[in-house]
Amino acid sequence: MSVDVILVIVVATALAFDFTNGFHDTANVVATSISTRAIGPRRAIAIASVLNFVGAFISLKVADTVGQGFVDTHAVTSTVVYAGLLGAITWNLMTWYVGLPSSSSHALIGGLVGSVIAAKGWSAASGSGILDKLIVPAVVAPLVAFAAAWLSVIFVYRIVRSVRPGGVSRGFKLGQVVSGGMLALAHGTNDAQKTMGLITLALVASGKLSASHFHVPIWVVIAAATAISLGTFSGGWRIIKTMGTKIISMDAAQGFVAQTAGAAVILAASSAGYPLSTTHVITGGIAGAGAGKRLSAVRWGVAREIVTAWVLTLPCAAAVAAVAYSVVHLFGSGDLGPIVLSVVLVIALTAVFFKARGGRAHGPTPHKEPSQA
Amino acid sequence: MMLIASSTASDIVRVVWSSILATVGVSVLFSGAAVGLIRAGELRRTNHGSAATALTAAAVVALLICVAAAVYGVILVGQKS
Repeated sequence: MSVDVILVIVVATALAFDFTNGFHDTANVVATSISTRAIGPRRAIAIASVLNFVGAFISLKVADTVGQGFVDTHAVTSTVVYAGLLGAITWNLMTWYVGLPSSSSHALIGGLVGSVIAAKGWSAASGSGILDKLIVPAVVAPLVAFAAAWLSVIFVYRIVRSVRPGGVSRGFKLGQVVSGGMLALAHGTNDAQKTMGLITLALVASGKLSASHFHVPIWVVIAAATAISLGTFSGGWRIIKTMGTKIISMDAAQGFVAQTAGAAVILAASSAGYPLSTTHVITGGIAGAGAGKRLSAVRWGVAREIVTAWVLTLPCAAAVAAVAYSVVHLFGSGDLGPIVLSVVLVIALTAVFFKARGGRAHGPTPHKEPSQA
Repeated sequence: MMLIASSTASDIVRVVWSSILATVGVSVLFSGAAVGLIRAGELRRTNHGSAATALTAAAVVALLICVAAAVYGVILVGQKS
């Protein structure tokens, strides 16, 4: 009975995490279309949320990787998953407060790894799994998106230079409706699965599913898809407005190429089961599209911030989760620890919400979202 | 000693080439289609109807290939799971 209470808390926390993931990533998915005026904000968000939902049903390979690729499933308990989530959320809040563009995906996996190490020791984490399925793809994917977009923009400008710009722009704006849709679909495919993997891991840990037949139940797929889709739909209007007007100035051709590169990389990585930071990939695509036109158009400072955040997120989220596990463990192995910490978390989130509404400067800016996946 | 598993290396290589090929291919085809349709409009205005029709047909084929590539990509992702 006590395990079930923790499981309910874990599922609710994971879905809340998924919701905030959709909420904050809305801007990343739709900003390019909005900034080139290819589509209005309301319509862009509605399409993105529907395609986020659909995308979550396409594949389950990333969920399998999150559930089985980084930690020994036999070493995981519901408390471990809970502490991992807590570590990820806390790290996201901390980075949001100081304006560091951290990745929710890396925080989530870092939190899980840190928590399981605190509970069962280093042998419970899979070093090769973390290197092969997280670190290498995390380095490669944004660079590939950059290269693909950079190369494409060079080709596109050569092809369209002989015709009148107005017609080309109209054509690419129409194309952006489709490329933006593909990006939303790809985002739903990769990001929603991370939550699915984590919830499934918690179900295995609580004995509701067999570890030897790891599979994601359909209700988990529907719940995760719904959470990310609702998050996208209600997605931070303030952030979207900011990104839609202050993002790197780009034309419709660059927007089309950036979205196509982002969608292609995320879909290819999803087919291989790699949980990516979709924000980093999209940013790589946008930077590549900018560099293809003019190298100085790229905000290299943003790239530096992303690299810094990337290096810090995994170990720091792991450390925070390890501390969270130790704190939960202080209350014993029952329900009390997760309940107390959940109350503390809700109070902290409420305080942060009101502080943010109070107009502090530490709030989200483009590429500095509290929960960038 | 290999730093990463060979299966990972081959997966990464596949992600790299398929992403670049898809992005460059779709972008080139789409811009070709846009140029084709604009030129077809110009030809139509100067009474070169047959050339305009041929260009329009080529542009439509290019657009259809773009759509097919997107659909194929999604199907491949679904099949892999």
